[in-house]
Amino acid sequence: MRILVVGGGTGGTIIANNLARRLSAELRTGKVSLTMLSASDRHMYQPGLLYVAFGQMMPDTLYRDQASLLEASIEFHVDPVKHFMLDERRVKTQSDRVFDYDILVIATGSRMVPEEIPGLVEGSETFYSEAGAIKMYKALRNFKGGRVAIVVGVPHKCPIAPVEVTFSLHDYFKTRGIRDKVEIKYHYPINRIHSIENVAKWAKPEFDRMGVAYETLFNLKEVDVQNKVIHSEEDTEYAYDLLISIPAHRGMAVIEENRLGQAGWIPTDRHQLTMEGYDNVYVLGDTTNLPVSKTGSAAHFEAEVIADNIASIVKIGTPVREYDGKVYCFIEAGHDQATYAMFNYLNPPDLKPANKSMHWFKMSYNQMYWSSVRGLL
Amino acid sequence: MSEVKVIDACNTFCPGPLMELITYMKQAQIGDTLELLSTDQGSAADVPEWVEKVGHQMVGSEKIGDVWHIKVRKAK
Amino acid sequence: MTSQIEVSDRPAPPSEPGVGPAELARLSELATLVTAAQDAMSDDIVTRLSAALNEGMILLDRLTRNQALMRLLHTLERAECQNLLEALAEALAATSRDLAKGRAADGGLGGWVRLLRDPDTCETLRLVSVLGSHLSRNLQASRAPDSSSS
Repeated sequence: MRILVVGGGTGGTIIANNLARRLSAELRTGKVSLTMLSASDRHMYQPGLLYVAFGQMMPDTLYRDQASLLEASIEFHVDPVKHFMLDERRVKTQSDRVFDYDILVIATGSRMVPEEIPGLVEGSETFYSEAGAIKMYKALRNFKGGRVAIVVGVPHKCPIAPVEVTFSLHDYFKTRGIRDKVEIKYHYPINRIHSIENVAKWAKPEFDRMGVAYETLFNLKEVDVQNKVIHSEEDTEYAYDLLISIPAHRGMAVIEENRLGQAGWIPTDRHQLTMEGYDNVYVLGDTTNLPVSKTGSAAHFEAEVIADNIASIVKIGTPVREYDGKVYCFIEAGHDQATYAMFNYLNPPDLKPANKSMHWFKMSYNQMYWSSVRGLL
Repeated sequence: MSEVKVIDACNTFCPGPLMELITYMKQAQIGDTLELLSTDQGSAADVPEWVEKVGHQMVGSEKIGDVWHIKVRKAK
Repeated sequence: MTSQIEVSDRPAPPSEPGVGPAELARLSELATLVTAAQDAMSDDIVTRLSAALNEGMILLDRLTRNQALMRLLHTLERAECQNLLEALAEALAATSRDLAKGRAADGGLGGWVRLLRDPDTCETLRLVSVLGSHLSRNLQASRAPDSSSS
């Protein structure tokens, strides 16, 4: 049986390593082969970018060589897929190599698309890339006071990021002793301050406590870079001195080019995590169109289910587990406190007050991530 | 009278249906009516609030079976 | 122990629900300890500790799942292997001392002949030859199942 994993991010790496562990005997005897195709030879711990943007982490600590994270029995190629031929059960890569498979896992992830809003690329700081996070930190450091606007496009990676960056901005300016010279205004596209209702309920009094202003139903139309004004689809505007953006995301271009899903999100069965219409194609992480957050933890829990199911298909010919929509998100509520949100398809999160121990748990997790992607945690 | 353009946002979840409506509204002409189909309960409350803030016009909202049919006319 | 119980003929008073002052004092002591520990910690310390723990876990995982290494450990548990390891370590230390003290080797045919006349050299060559024959036999044995199955 040939198993092919496309994508070497959190989801792809966990699934490949979990399969290598579960199918070690089959891989040794050659009954099963396991191949990963990725666009990069490096693996980035993406949640770390928010810390880089506030000078709390150096970017080089966020990377590991992808090959060093993979079990030795995984055949790894840095050669991204260009064409998916699902009916023929094969893919073709950038270097024109063809890989046939019996089971395919698509974990290509998502990308921000700030270029879809006029002025957003030039006019705003964003921490969704290494270069962006460093640039944002320098902008924060040079900031002497004035109006800071936070704008959010949906959907985006890491659902909690808008709230976290707001808390962090408040703490950062407070630590520098210029909080009283800074006005922070948060803009969110729907009619509450977060898409997860209980997160909105928890964050609202916190925003009030910190003196953070907010406008809901604010869908960014354009950034007037010259005059430093943001305009909404709803015809409201706000003049800023520093603009922090969380741009809307799409799935990867290759998914759209191959017409696998609108906006790059692949239609996926909620419980089996198979692509609609293809029982031998699994989808996980940001790549799905599921109503769960686009976060590493969703990818992690999905990967556990898929790896179990592929392994059981090899061993007993049938899948054995269902995904229940589980997501676990740390929420950094500033620079020394945190809480968490855990939820699934049926149960909304119940947020506890933030504390220091949870912050350290998150700090520890920033390191434990590397054993997590190896399939150890 | 322009014809009604139907946007099927069934089986997408908050804030998906509202975002779909906003996307299509940008492309529509003033006077056009859009009909949003949604299975998400939240949309029934979100959409009228958004429509009111922007200044478009609610034409109707009704639930047929499991699906909300929300009609909005572009006013500006 | 039993006599102590028999001495008291009255039933023990029922335990109070809730927590007494002594327990409260201990709880508060514990809380102080936790607070002190929390105050002493910093993000950097937590990060370094978790990184060390994490790398340790990864190493342990790799080591324990490496079958050859586990077999090696099993072999090394035998007393004669442990003696050998100790002897090897001692020899390495002595070698490093001798090399530092001794004269550099003479080159040429004369130097060779002098070296070969030394009984220690002959004994060393014998050791290497015995080791080589065992190593070769073991390697052949470990290859055997593969060659028979193909």
